[in-house]
Amino acid sequence: MVDLIYTVVSLIVIVPLALFLGVVYSFLLRKLSARFQWRVGPMLRMYGDLKPLLGTSRLLQPLYDILKLYGKETVVPDVSRRRLFVYSPYLSLIFAVAAIFFIPFPGMPLLSGVPYSLIIASYLLIASILFTILGPIASGSPWAAIGARREVELFLVSELGFVLSIFAIAIARQSLVIWELSKGAQSVYLALLTVTAGALMFAAVLGKLHIKPFDMPEAEAEIVAGPYTEYSGKLLGTYYLSKAFLLYGLVALFISLFLPPLATDVLWLPLYLIAAFVLVFLLTAVQVLNPRYRIRNAINWYLKVVIPLGLLSFIIALAIWLVV
Amino acid sequence: MGIMDKARIYSPWLYHLHCGGCNGCDIETLAALAPRFDVERFGIQLVPSPRHADILLTTGCVPKQFIPMVKRVYEQVPEPKVVVAVGSCACGGSLFYDDAPENYAILGHPDLLIPVDVYVPGCAPKPEAIINGVVQGILKLAEKRAKK
Amino acid sequence: MSTEIKILKQVLSKYSKPMTLTYPSTVAPERRYSQIPEGLRGIPERDNDKCIGCRACYFVCSGRATSIYDKDAKRTVEIFLFRCTFCAHCQEACPEEAIKMTNKFEIAVPNREDPAARVITELDLLKCKNCGNPYVTRKLVDRTYERLMEKIDTIVKETVSNDYKKLDGYCPDCRRAYGVDFDTHTKKYVWLEGV
Ligand code: SF4
Ligand code: SF4
Repeated sequence: MVDLIYTVVSLIVIVPLALFLGVVYSFLLRKLSARFQWRVGPMLRMYGDLKPLLGTSRLLQPLYDILKLYGKETVVPDVSRRRLFVYSPYLSLIFAVAAIFFIPFPGMPLLSGVPYSLIIASYLLIASILFTILGPIASGSPWAAIGARREVELFLVSELGFVLSIFAIAIARQSLVIWELSKGAQSVYLALLTVTAGALMFAAVLGKLHIKPFDMPEAEAEIVAGPYTEYSGKLLGTYYLSKAFLLYGLVALFISLFLPPLATDVLWLPLYLIAAFVLVFLLTAVQVLNPRYRIRNAINWYLKVVIPLGLLSFIIALAIWLVV
Repeated sequence: MGIMDKARIYSPWLYHLHCGGCNGCDIETLAALAPRFDVERFGIQLVPSPRHADILLTTGCVPKQFIPMVKRVYEQVPEPKVVVAVGSCACGGSLFYDDAPENYAILGHPDLLIPVDVYVPGCAPKPEAIINGVVQGILKLAEKRAKK
Repeated sequence: MSTEIKILKQVLSKYSKPMTLTYPSTVAPERRYSQIPEGLRGIPERDNDKCIGCRACYFVCSGRATSIYDKDAKRTVEIFLFRCTFCAHCQEACPEEAIKMTNKFEIAVPNREDPAARVITELDLLKCKNCGNPYVTRKLVDRTYERLMEKIDTIVKETVSNDYKKLDGYCPDCRRAYGVDFDTHTKKYVWLEGV
């Protein structure tokens, strides 16, 4: 009974917490990439004389963006498939929020202990991204269609890496429950697997979050705003919201699968946060150091990296399963 | 001031509409967005689609071919919105337009088509002047909400 | 990959302090503005006392920003900054050096009627002694006389001076209509050609 109440309470608590962390991560992404480019970026401490007008801190800048979008007029184009166009952002948000329920946070196992939670979580993450493709296709804008097509192609290859990496881990550890995976003891072989499968997952996260070499779905210079071209106001805000949750979810999943004990006990919280910030730093470094790939280059790159790394991870995983 | 009004001031997104200028003002506008002046400090971002914008930044004298596009882009920006005209051409027509158009191709300043809220004269204005204009635009944006 | 390492090295080098200026804020005045070069052409400003209303700036204005109109015995010399190209032609042409380009450039204004968008000088017009119509400013008449006297250095100097004084105060229409009454020397300009 106590367990049940704790789970319910933590399920309620995790939503604002995940939103806050997602917003902080995306703030860090912006701030760090600004610092990489020798500029200031959203200000952590506003200039003294501008404080009354512009606020004291912009730590929550992505949240302000979302709030502003909620206060704006929402335009639905005539040529769109209205229902799909309007509901897709909300469905994307719902799936993203549902996905974070299955990923543990230090001190909160949430639903990550249910059987097959690894598969459920990865399905929900995929579904969330799927609706960022379906909505734009329904908008009737050619730019959105091109962007969505690019996203589908990118999605296919990045998803391959994602699935290979989580199943390599699952085979090696003989479990499909995230909570168990995030507890486990480390061994030398597992550390090796963590490196290869972790690299694979990192590459997949790049594609899922449209980090720089793989941001061709949103390439501003070529296809206006890509999938989001026709979205405005509340609907766009909802997409940004689901992006913040997705960012949190992917980072949390990465940590719980590849840095095992960090996502279990509440005592690990400081280390968990440090690991998350390091991960965001690495994402930013990749973003600022790379130009945008063309879609064909991106697919080639993924196939060149994902297939050997995936095979390697699987061989290691099978070896661990059979031998150890 | 509610949190929504604050958010409106904290994150104005900019759409840059170039309508037939000589590119001088566009270069200065991009300089205002670049690391030296970095308007992202105040949450200002350049967005690629007018549907996402709060501030429409126009440069140049409108050619007749461009009339429908200017109107349409203006209508595509969701309310509340603010238009900032950058450069002497966009403010008063400057070299290209007198009260009677003398050029078969030029209509005149965008003010003849869409309501402009802030004018930034200059040929071309310095990036600081453009930032100054955008800041005034943000203040107008806050006012517009207050009226509703 | 080597390019990326090069970029990373440069990014993390000791020069990687943000180069952003603090523009709208005044907390660090030395880092407030970008370079403002000497001779930056900002808003033109007119010295109201020096301007004589001669229209030289109106004729050279490249953006047709300057307009001069007479109304209610007042001559208004106006620069509409929305049309000004900050070319400094007016500064060059002004005989009295009344116009100076300043280096002010923050002139964003919210509407066309804003007083900040115009540089205005109002001058009183002289009324014709005969018909009473306002026609020119006092200063213009005086300055023209002075400059004329500076230029002429021959025997016609006195004639010109006398004629000028006789005509002073009459508008061009009246001068033409009552030309005989003034008894000015009709051939003086022919002699002046050699000067
Ligand atoms: S500003 Fe100079 S050129 Fe213009 S009317 Fe006055 S005196 Fe003449
Ligand atoms: S600076 Fe050039 S455009 Fe401006 S008023 Fe003078 S002559 Fe005219």
